[in-house]
Amino acid sequence: MIDHYLQAFATVLQPQNLLAMVLGSLWGLLAGALPGISTSMGVVLLLSFTYSLSPMTAFVLLVGAYLGGITGGSITSILFGIPGEPSSVPTVIEGHAIAKQGRPAFALWVFLLCSIYGGLFSTFFMIAATPLIASFALKFGPSEYFALTVLGLSVVSGLSGGSVLKGFLSCFLGLFLATIGTDGITGEERYTFDTVMLLGGINFVVAMVGLLAVSEIFIEAEEPFKEYKGGVQYRGMLREIPPFSLFKSYLLTMIRSPIIGTIVGALPGAGATIAAFLSYGEAARTAKREPEKFGKGAVEGLMAAECANNASTGGSMTTLLSLGIPGSNTTAMMIAAFMIHGMQPGPLLLSTRPDIVYGIFVSMLLTNLLLLGLTILAIRMFLELNRMPYSIFSAAIMILCVIGAYGLNNNMDDVLLMFAFSLIGYAMRKFDIPVAPCILALVLGDMAELSLRRSLLLSGGSPLILVSSPISIVLMAGALLSIVYPLFKKPKMLQGL
Amino acid sequence: MKKGEIVFSAACVAFFGFMLTQTFELLGHGRSGEVGSGLWPFMALLVSIILSLLLLVSSIKKSQTAAGQGEKVLTPEAMVEKKRARVTVALSVTCFLTYIIVMPWIGFVLATFLYILAFALALGERRRWVLAVSPVLVTAVILGVFAKFITIPFPKGMGIFAEFSRLFY
Repeated sequence: MIDHYLQAFATVLQPQNLLAMVLGSLWGLLAGALPGISTSMGVVLLLSFTYSLSPMTAFVLLVGAYLGGITGGSITSILFGIPGEPSSVPTVIEGHAIAKQGRPAFALWVFLLCSIYGGLFSTFFMIAATPLIASFALKFGPSEYFALTVLGLSVVSGLSGGSVLKGFLSCFLGLFLATIGTDGITGEERYTFDTVMLLGGINFVVAMVGLLAVSEIFIEAEEPFKEYKGGVQYRGMLREIPPFSLFKSYLLTMIRSPIIGTIVGALPGAGATIAAFLSYGEAARTAKREPEKFGKGAVEGLMAAECANNASTGGSMTTLLSLGIPGSNTTAMMIAAFMIHGMQPGPLLLSTRPDIVYGIFVSMLLTNLLLLGLTILAIRMFLELNRMPYSIFSAAIMILCVIGAYGLNNNMDDVLLMFAFSLIGYAMRKFDIPVAPCILALVLGDMAELSLRRSLLLSGGSPLILVSSPISIVLMAGALLSIVYPLFKKPKMLQGL
Repeated sequence: MKKGEIVFSAACVAFFGFMLTQTFELLGHGRSGEVGSGLWPFMALLVSIILSLLLLVSSIKKSQTAAGQGEKVLTPEAMVEKKRARVTVALSVTCFLTYIIVMPWIGFVLATFLYILAFALALGERRRWVLAVSPVLVTAVILGVFAKFITIPFPKGMGIFAEFSRLFY
């Protein structure tokens, strides 16, 4: 195991990978900091450019964008009172209030140190837990894999926002879209309508870029010219570095919040937003020191939210790497990155590609540390970029989408397909149908179908095989719980996020 | 929006229904003991139709409830704003589609430059310095990174446009 880590450090520390780490983190910070772009959109935009990179460099880049995005969402939250990400809403409440009291640098330091601490905590959890869960999951056969994909798809309930009905409609649309093309088992053409373009199936990167990124720009186009004025005066980070004793005085929150974040992050579909709100709510409920400050600039609330939302990254990556189940919207996009490079995240990944898994461990550790310095250096740059004309910025994003789709196979067919998906995505968003479940189903659909058909082949067509082993039953029960639980227990403050 | 939702749900039912009719050809094509390639999409489409029908019924019910309570009348300002938003989106979509269609004919450089200008105008940008500087700057950066550094073989265009593109990459 030590050998794996030494090799992973040697690989990640190669110049091209270090450059990818810096660029990915900067891009993620930017995507997180700008309200028009989400972390998942930032990751999707990078996905299509990873084809030409080595797998390790691609993952270092994407890990940087993922962690940077979660961290960057809080910069504009504190300085402008605008959440770059939904998970930064508690940070707006407390962090911006502290900044308005004339202490923006102090709020930024607290956010940054807690983010890094939460990120590192969950990374160590991921390093310890992934091999254990993966070795257990090696016992899985086709029926268990099917149950696992059903569990993965059950996150739809959590990703659905307002209406679960619409979430499932989106999910089943994705499952259908995943069947387009040549069938992997029988070689039959399905829904290709004799077009060459659809023979190989729908490239999920093309679909993702259209559904998630381009449609978002069309939606944003309805309200152009967002200029973020009225922020607090920021003079630099060097003043007001918080003392260590401050964090020590909130020891319980500092221990509890990353644990909440990691566990919630590992739950299918929960992600950073629920982690941040739960941790913040728990801190508010149990606050002994200055509970009256909550909502008006409570340092403890800021700490709780920031520790938890960054800690969700390690939790999400744990289930992704060990079971192939995405814990969040962004890790669902990461599945596509594995597939692009001919890998399937899940129990076998640790034995087939240990270099990649340990490389991801190491890059998450190093990226968290890098973000500490990078965020301080980049804050001013992001503040200036926030003043960039939105029309030009969104035009540049659209061009990046076109380049991303075109660059996959160097042909315009993929670009036209992306345009078609952007219109579908726009219509879905207009009628409040979430696009994330569709993307998730598009990515997991193939695996779900293959494992179901293999299971039925083994059982001679009897569907009872799907619930014949204790593992399948537990996974199916988990899926059921994952679907039903958010219907009843979704916190009121999360409605609409 | 309620009317739009009804139309959208009905379109979903029609789309999934049409696809389901295509699925019948695929059912039962598996070899002995093998599940054919039609089973999975059949299940997905069947559930999709049921969900679309539920959405349609729920949209109709909502529409009837809203009609019973009296239609919400928009103020003239809100009407103008709504119309403006629709026009802006339509222009953005048109600009984007035109960009994609003309790119193989006039080449990536020129198409990108014109697209940035048109898209900014469509979104209501009127500051002359922004319109003058940004298209050149963004096109130059994109060209430098993707055509020169990553060497993506972008379309060069035809005839005189190809000659023009060759000046850059």
